[in-house]
Amino acid sequence: MKAEKLYENNDHTWIVFGRDEDKPDLIIDTNQYMVTSKKNSLLMDPGGVELFSAMLSAVIKEVPAQKITHLFASHQDPDIISSLGLWDLALTDATLHSPWLWEGYIRHFGMQHIEYEGIPDEGSRLTLDEVVLEFIPAHYLHSSGNFNVYDPKAKILMSGDIGAAMEEPDAPMFVEDFDAHIGKMKMFHQRWMPSNKAKNDWVRRVRQLDIEMMCPQHGRIFRGADVKRFLDWFENLEVGVLGGRR
Amino acid sequence: MSEVSSNYFVAAASIAAKLDYATKVAQRLSLTASNARALTLRAGQSAAGFRPLTDAIHRLSDITVSSSKKINAIAAVLSRMAVEKYRSDSALKYFDAVYLQAQGSRHLDSLSDVYERTKLKQKELMTQYQQKIQQLTQELEAVEGELRSAVVLKVLCQIEASQAGATYQDALNNVAENVENIAETIKEQIVFSRQQVAILQ
Ligand SMILES: [Fe+2]
Ligand SMILES: [Fe+2]
Repeated sequence: MKAEKLYENNDHTWIVFGRDEDKPDLIIDTNQYMVTSKKNSLLMDPGGVELFSAMLSAVIKEVPAQKITHLFASHQDPDIISSLGLWDLALTDATLHSPWLWEGYIRHFGMQHIEYEGIPDEGSRLTLDEVVLEFIPAHYLHSSGNFNVYDPKAKILMSGDIGAAMEEPDAPMFVEDFDAHIGKMKMFHQRWMPSNKAKNDWVRRVRQLDIEMMCPQHGRIFRGADVKRFLDWFENLEVGVLGGRR
Repeated sequence: MSEVSSNYFVAAASIAAKLDYATKVAQRLSLTASNARALTLRAGQSAAGFRPLTDAIHRLSDITVSSSKKINAIAAVLSRMAVEKYRSDSALKYFDAVYLQAQGSRHLDSLSDVYERTKLKQKELMTQYQQKIQQLTQELEAVEGELRSAVVLKVLCQIEASQAGATYQDALNNVAENVENIAETIKEQIVFSRQQVAILQ
């Protein structure tokens, strides 16, 4: 599992984990993100059960396990949070922030010690020491209860499945040629995202945020002008289209 | 991460992390040896006795780098095995509960094959797991043994430094200090890892 620092200032850092060399072939590649402040770490979309030991080993190279006090699951999918039952044993004192809608479902992954903090539909904030993070609603993109995480200071938007791409296992971490990247994103967004209305509403709200990096859970990170390119492309895309069929 | 954690997933992962760090530190030792070598060349005859010591530092660095990497790899395997072990342990627990809850059911027998298979798997895993732990312990002990030579190396370096001319004395003493500090840092990682091994067992 590779780890790369995305942002660092005196009160917090962002790290992306991904491109795991030992990942079993048939599971989708995922990016996991971690924000670390003075005394706490938040692990975002910590991933599937198959990735758990690679993830824990990678995380612990950066921070001690006791420092991971918060988890975030953007939605209920197995590639997002099926590792929960194992994190539940590894972390001594942690809270999982996830859509209120999915509590009864996510608990099926096994959760006896971690506390569930349901995020209300309109979103909420999380304060990690001096760092304030915002949970931005992204419902129906694709899950019916779904959030992004926005860091106004680092200007980073963790966008979950939005902006996801189907990539080669050793693909670079950042988008280098947006037009060439479209082909890897199109089917994913058209097939998994059900609602044009929800999509356009999200684009309108996200345009108002100051974003330097948009970080999806699969594929590559968008930087600078590519963020706007993505928003323009996504706004014009017809979603809820049956495609990519076997 | 000073305190020893109470969970075996975390224990295996933190050994890997400590040894990853130890590898980086050991690589610094090799740099120290190269710098010392350059220094003795400049110092010429006055530091002739120091030269063979730089070879010894190089050797120590090579050994610690390669065994740290090896231990790191073992720890990664162990952490995967710990998860597998947990999964088969809990599968058996669930099966046991089924046997209790479904007592007298008509098809309860149909479970016995799976149960036996899982039990066997668990036993195999347990054996492999114990073997890996043993391997890990041996490797950790081996590095610790090698690191003991660092103290001797430091003293020898100091003696040779004191015989070198005044121009190079400080720099050579500095090499001696470096060897000791680096070895000490690596040793801390090893000691911590050995404590963690106790949790794995
Ligand atoms: Fe998803
Ligand atoms: Fe996903």
